[in-house]
Amino acid sequence: MSITVEKFVEEGRDPFSLEVVAGHEYLGRIIKEAALNRPGLALAGFFQHFAHLRVQVLGLAENAYLKSLTPDERGQRLHRLYQKKIPCVVLTRNRQPSSEILECAEAFKVPILKTPMITNRFINLATLLMENLTAPLVRYQGTMLEIMGIGVLMEGQAGIGKSETALALIERGHSLVSDDLTVLRKDSTGAIVGYADDMTRYHMEIRGLGIIHVPSLFGVASMRREMHLDLVVRLERFDPKKEYDRTGLNSETISILGADVPLLTIPVAAGRDIAHVVEVAALNQKLKQLGHDAAKELDEKLVRALERKRRM
Amino acid sequence: MKDKPSAQSAALSRDMKIENKHGMHARPAALFIKVASKFESDILIEKDGTKVSGKSIMGLLTLELYAGSVMKVHADGSDAEEALNAIEELVRNKFNED
Repeated sequence: MSITVEKFVEEGRDPFSLEVVAGHEYLGRIIKEAALNRPGLALAGFFQHFAHLRVQVLGLAENAYLKSLTPDERGQRLHRLYQKKIPCVVLTRNRQPSSEILECAEAFKVPILKTPMITNRFINLATLLMENLTAPLVRYQGTMLEIMGIGVLMEGQAGIGKSETALALIERGHSLVSDDLTVLRKDSTGAIVGYADDMTRYHMEIRGLGIIHVPSLFGVASMRREMHLDLVVRLERFDPKKEYDRTGLNSETISILGADVPLLTIPVAAGRDIAHVVEVAALNQKLKQLGHDAAKELDEKLVRALERKRRM
Repeated sequence: MKDKPSAQSAALSRDMKIENKHGMHARPAALFIKVASKFESDILIEKDGTKVSGKSIMGLLTLELYAGSVMKVHADGSDAEEALNAIEELVRNKFNED
């Protein structure tokens, strides 16, 4: 996954006060490897394994090294660095670019950015930002909630009662992540994280009421910005002909962005308190994550007891 | 055992021996109720004088049907005979275990 320098500047403006010093017209350059690199060795003339596809960060040490060189040498070294077709250069601690850097930027059409942050902190945060910007995303039809530390995504046909169930869960003190449309992202650890679209965040649509603003009605604790996904609950209209898992021994999963997420299918019949069932499903998932599988444990207990009886 | 014709409502029962190694644990019990629930007839399982519904998994598990034990399966309804046949087949096939 790659992004343009322009996108990186746009997204980095708020968190790192990132701004363009020179080369505005070259912001279309592409960062082919979403990571950052301190080109110390390259400046010293060693180019083996030089990560030229990444953003090049010139910090205190690189700057001090460049200053220790004669202007001629400095120009040559920078020239060799820029010849590798780097996407952009970031100067930390709000340092002004030297005349040699400015010349290279123009000659090689590479933008120069700057941030007031110190290098280490900038690299840490910018790495996270880049990972998020390039992470695989999917927009998923479903309502997501945080239920006692468990991220639950409810899916099902329109009108099955996802939003109403979410409302009941919010009233029980749980938090809404997104209503009806959830953006799912795979983070660098492989976990799936869900959040709402920026435009509709904090809002829900309830049939008969229309659009409501959730934190105004239920308080700020009723909302959560993002949450890792632990469980997908599929709500289905109860079908007497269909067989539902009655033991919980046959755990199903659903593949989302290449990750296997536990899936539960819950039949919705008139009069069934779905919010309560979903709440218990989340608690049961939490128990499983702690290493207790109630269905499996009861089954093992049974097998042992039946074996004892048989031998008697 | 003589069964009445299946077209009309009938109350039938049949003894069945549990033959799978681990007995009636959760997986076979789930299969049992899956089969039993397909029929309209009321299904009851009896062992040592205790009767439970053949459509209740928790009930079935309390009977402690270990390998070698015998249960009496009662079916009452229009499809009682088919129900008993289907259940007997499942039990004889050791619940597709072993």
